[in-house]
Amino acid sequence: MSIPFEIKFDENTYRHHVDGVTMVMHCHHYMSLTVKLADAMEDMGAVKILRESAEDSIRELLEAYFKAHGISSSAERLNIGREMYSVLGLGKMEVFGNDGGGEVKLVRSHVDEGWVQKFGKSSKFVNHFTCGYLAAMFAVSFSRAARTYNVYETASLAMGEPEGKIIVKAN
Amino acid sequence: MTVMRDKVVKALVELDVKGDENGLMPGYNVLVNFLPTSFWTLFAERMINSAPAEKKEQVRTGLYQCAQECGYHTGWGIINSDEFQSVVMPMVTEGAKDVLRGAFAVFTAWGWAKSGVVQIKDGERMVIRAQDYYEQDIKIPNEKMAFMVSAVSGAFFDLAYGSEYPNGLGTFKCDQTKGIEVGDDFGEFIVSKK
Repeated sequence: MSIPFEIKFDENTYRHHVDGVTMVMHCHHYMSLTVKLADAMEDMGAVKILRESAEDSIRELLEAYFKAHGISSSAERLNIGREMYSVLGLGKMEVFGNDGGGEVKLVRSHVDEGWVQKFGKSSKFVNHFTCGYLAAMFAVSFSRAARTYNVYETASLAMGEPEGKIIVKAN
Repeated sequence: MTVMRDKVVKALVELDVKGDENGLMPGYNVLVNFLPTSFWTLFAERMINSAPAEKKEQVRTGLYQCAQECGYHTGWGIINSDEFQSVVMPMVTEGAKDVLRGAFAVFTAWGWAKSGVVQIKDGERMVIRAQDYYEQDIKIPNEKMAFMVSAVSGAFFDLAYGSEYPNGLGTFKCDQTKGIEVGDDFGEFIVSKK
């Protein structure tokens, strides 16, 4: 089952909006190259910048969605966050968790599979975007501040493993 | 008849944007994602603000190159897609020029920019103007920030007039000459030979 998801097109600016949040379509080339740029500039903290940009932008979207649809229970928010991930074309995940954190299994992944399509198998974790996504998803679900959750990969589709695994822990 | 942007945009914007049963969005020969623009703008803004002075140009070049390569491959996917063939190609009467106009209509439909071609000199130069683009939301004083619009404009011209795909990437460059983010009324982008 998927969630209601209405995209409004602004006839004046030609922008797309979901519950007031401006959205845009991009491809796996752009995502993969952005991840690669962040990795190449890690000496200036670029991976953290990518994760936090993901966390802040997804937080904005989830908060707007939950407000517009009147979703207040943590369990329902977590489930919608999981569904939203698929609606946005980011892949498919299974989520187990509570306000202390949790574990996420990535069955399919735009970031990982896009990376493999573009560059081949990776020698390191590349799904920084999803780490940021999950930090936002848990924080908004449990009414916590940004940067509450420490999120890291322990298994990766991009590295050739059959499924990805991501750990979420409250600081 | 030539390619009419608004007609193309209206036809393409009604496409169903949603992940499939695997949560993926295959289309235009790529995997598509649909994200808040703030992810891309925050990343660019924070990268530039975090870079030490001696690295700022490297960051700007990196951001341009990400968009350039994306635009080249996705642009190829767009002009060879069923959607393009059915919606845009019936309007094409001026060859490469019209294909470019059509590609910019798709560019607009995807939410990248309300943009259009204002001048094309075959194989030499193109001028694009955009009345709205999401990168105008990046606020760094006095800095033009439309990496995506610039780089994709250059990449589309590579597809139209560079060596045959996939060997034409980087034949042309694009310079942003005006920007809403720096106080101009519109963004302007000039593509020329590298």
